[in-house]
Amino acid sequence: MNRLRRFFHTPEAIAGASILALLIVMALVAPLLFSGDPQAIAGPALLPPFQDWSLPLGTDRLGRDVLAELFHGARTSLAVGLAAAAAALFIGALVGTLAGFAGGLIDEMLMRVTDAFQTVPSFLLALAFVSIVGPSLGAVVAAIALGAWTGPARVARAEVLSIRERDYVAGARVIGMHPLEIAFREVLPNALPPVLALSSVIVAAAILTEAALSFLGLGDPNRVTWGGMIAEGRAVLRSAPFLSVVPGIALVLTVLGVYLAGEGVVESTAVRRSLS
Amino acid sequence: MTVLAASSLTKRYRRGDKPFAAVDNVSFEIGPAETLALAGPSGSGKSTIARLVLRLIEPDAGRVDFEGADFLALSGAALRARRARIQMVFQDPLAAFNPRATVARVLDDPLRIHGIATRAERPRRIAALLERVGLDAGLAARAIHEISGGQRQRVAIARAIATRPSLIVLDEAVSALDVSVRGQILELLLDLQRQERIAYLFISHDLGVIRAVAHRVVILDAGRITESGDARSVIANPQSAIGKALVAATPRLTRSRP
Ligand SMILES: Nc1ncnc2c1ncn2[C@@H]1O[C@H](COP(=O)(O)OP(=O)(O)OP(=O)(O)O)[C@@H](O)[C@H]1O
Ligand SMILES: [Mg+2]
Repeated sequence: MNRLRRFFHTPEAIAGASILALLIVMALVAPLLFSGDPQAIAGPALLPPFQDWSLPLGTDRLGRDVLAELFHGARTSLAVGLAAAAAALFIGALVGTLAGFAGGLIDEMLMRVTDAFQTVPSFLLALAFVSIVGPSLGAVVAAIALGAWTGPARVARAEVLSIRERDYVAGARVIGMHPLEIAFREVLPNALPPVLALSSVIVAAAILTEAALSFLGLGDPNRVTWGGMIAEGRAVLRSAPFLSVVPGIALVLTVLGVYLAGEGVVESTAVRRSLS
Repeated sequence: MTVLAASSLTKRYRRGDKPFAAVDNVSFEIGPAETLALAGPSGSGKSTIARLVLRLIEPDAGRVDFEGADFLALSGAALRARRARIQMVFQDPLAAFNPRATVARVLDDPLRIHGIATRAERPRRIAALLERVGLDAGLAARAIHEISGGQRQRVAIARAIATRPSLIVLDEAVSALDVSVRGQILELLLDLQRQERIAYLFISHDLGVIRAVAHRVVILDAGRITESGDARSVIANPQSAIGKALVAATPRLTRSRP
């Protein structure tokens, strides 16, 4: 397809897409390749990497398989990143569309709420939320989304404000369409592209926030996470630095991949726009 | 019996910080199957009147009676239901439709919203509407941006007549079309008026077109009515300075005059 070809035009996009593809494959095959509990003991403790080929990346302080943890961690990172970003985009688009389309008092109220959320640093918000609700995957997703929806809300509102004045919205009113149907069926789909352009940044930030929460011990204790692995390795940072370095590299690559792929998408649609 | 009666309509906007009246104490009536034209220079308030009459904006003063009832008193569901009877065709047929829409969806919406046909009946209704405005029923599956400007304006007319209105407001509805297509669309409008007895509020800056389709004309200047009356006699012998200027600006008229 034309758009795909244009997407794969830049080396950055190819790199980003490859990293993401690798990550998705890791997440998908994790339960097949490492069918046992990744948190179970698999060998002697603190085995360095590349010594025993049944445990290629070695083991941690408790003798758990690092490679298995890495694969299962990819699952958590991806799931939390995508779910939190989807939730943030959904809430943001909903609030922004309502505010922009309704105008007046409703707009004023919704935007004051948005301001309030935006002034609190999103990581503090996530921290506070998880400490109150308790660490679970759902709580982490909600906590991250809570700090990330304001950007999409502002972009959606600005877009809706300009679309609202177009003739076709007046046309929808003339045929007697209900205002909610106009807002969500006629206006919102046309306001979405610039909102979706934010998704890569939000996914990347969500993955980092999840890692940071896990690092602080506020992640879901029943799941392996890269942030949790880094925190675990911290105690033996001098003697076994690989325990923190390996998940650290995975985290950096993932965020980079998401960002580059996102840029590629934005760029390919921008080209399409300037061509048409 | 009138279809639409507007009395003392006034709409004020602010220009800078001082208010001005975009529409100033305007009154007119339109009877069944009658075409009333609004003419006037750019900025004289024609589109504002169209929007007031359609309740797209609210007047600061005045009254609108539609089919014998106070149209301004309606709100919410009652207003939406009433909208079936008063429709509009816009100037730019591309801007008038959701860029993602297909022809079928554009025509399906009014039929669905006003419960005119069941879901199963609607495709047949849509085909009939397309044929009524001189289009092939096969066009239904096309996207709005995939058809020509003339076809698009016919679709806009099909959508306007879908709910069997008694009045259609046409704001420069033929101005964006080239001359041959314009003639066909005007022909279609006249034919629909004869068959369905639809009244038109026909906005145009082209007095040639107005003389061809309108029964009566109202000439506006700076939001006020300067002159009104039978379309042919006003255009043949304008009394106001603005009327004379508009006639002089339409070469086809001055040339064809004896
Ligand atoms: N929303 C608005 N806010 C402020 N001023 C407005 C608004 N809408 C219209 N006006 C002003 O009201 C006046 C009448 O505008 P209107 O669009 O009705 O003119 P028109 O006769 O349709 O002109 P044209 O032939 O160019 O379409 C203009 O001076 C315009 O600038
Ligand atoms: Mg106008």
